[in-house]
Amino acid sequence: MSSSSEHAEQHHETDGGESEDGMVHSHISSLRLYVGIFLALIFFTVVTVGVSYVHLGSLNLAVAIIIASIKASLVVTFFMHLKYDNKFNALMFVCGLLFIGVFFAYTLNDTDRRQNELNDVQGNKVYLGEANDKQAPGGFEPKAEPAHSGSMGEEKKDEKPAAPHH
Amino acid sequence: MTSEAAAADEYEHKEGDGHDHGHGHDHPKYLAHHFDTPAQQFDAAKIGMWAFLVQELLFFSGIFVAYGIFRSWYPEMFSAASHQLNRLMGAGNTIVLLFSSLTAALAVRAAQLGQKRNTSTYIILTILCAFTFLVVKYFEYHHKFEAGLLPGQYFHPDHHHLVAGSPELPGNSHIFYSLYFMATGIHGVHVAVGIGVFIWILRRNERGDFSKDYYTGVDLTALYWHLVDLVWIYLFPLLYLID
Repeated sequence: MSSSSEHAEQHHETDGGESEDGMVHSHISSLRLYVGIFLALIFFTVVTVGVSYVHLGSLNLAVAIIIASIKASLVVTFFMHLKYDNKFNALMFVCGLLFIGVFFAYTLNDTDRRQNELNDVQGNKVYLGEANDKQAPGGFEPKAEPAHSGSMGEEKKDEKPAAPHH
Repeated sequence: MTSEAAAADEYEHKEGDGHDHGHGHDHPKYLAHHFDTPAQQFDAAKIGMWAFLVQELLFFSGIFVAYGIFRSWYPEMFSAASHQLNRLMGAGNTIVLLFSSLTAALAVRAAQLGQKRNTSTYIILTILCAFTFLVVKYFEYHHKFEAGLLPGQYFHPDHHHLVAGSPELPGNSHIFYSLYFMATGIHGVHVAVGIGVFIWILRRNERGDFSKDYYTGVDLTALYWHLVDLVWIYLFPLLYLID
């Protein structure tokens, strides 16, 4: 068995610069970069916790998602090397995100327009529609006694409807 | 890729035995015979791993979409139910996971540099972080079980165990805990699987399987680990930091 240096003599052609000699030559990031990215991630974690105490209404969710996305991009770009990697991998990743976007957009577009159908929450029950009396499966069925533990004495029976409908 | 094919052709010509694929020429022992070069093998492994990771993202997106639907329906319930989660434990676990991502990245760097000892050290640190994460998660789950904050029909909140001064829990709060347990449960399984894979990679590293020229296993496992981190980066604010 000879060493891999034999391969080096075989290949002249270069393409992406990754493999002129057929060997793996990945970009090696510096220790400083990795530690810097880690500190940035910690910084954004502190920011997201801090911002959550400020009442911004519905903006809170948007801010949380934006900060999480900044953190995610740092991880994907530097820790996961997408910046230096084969661009095809980045393409696959972005396509995945696009499809997740489609998944979100179409589903929420549907469910947010159902108004009083699936939204009909009365007390502990979620009804499937006003016309039929059917309860959603898997929901909370009030029982005379707690299902599993006898020690849980005070069972909560909150009759308050949960949320205003859109 | 095309350069690979051309290089392979050339290679076969020079060898003069184009019919005797993979048996006539010498390879490094880590090079599978159906690959022409280590670089091609590495690229193929990476593409495969990224396809898997994208699949993982799509897999996790189901729980996130469910979250989106229910949060847009019952924003107040989410806010109230979220108060029962321990932010300190959640934030602590976030930092633990981010640190483990750093050590995983450094393990790959050490492997790229051919530093076998450092690779092992960083992998061990990553595994320890993963265990820490699961231990914290255990204490969090323990509180939820004690407080009866469980999914669906098992939802029976016990006032003695609820967080003092927290808002009243609406009757449909079980939806939040269904999402909480499903999301963190699936994530936790991924953490546990990561521990197993890292232990395997650690053994392989100790066995001397990896070198500057071949560290695919370390690289791919770290990629998987970063994905686990990635999911948690979203889960933490979405579950713990509402309101």
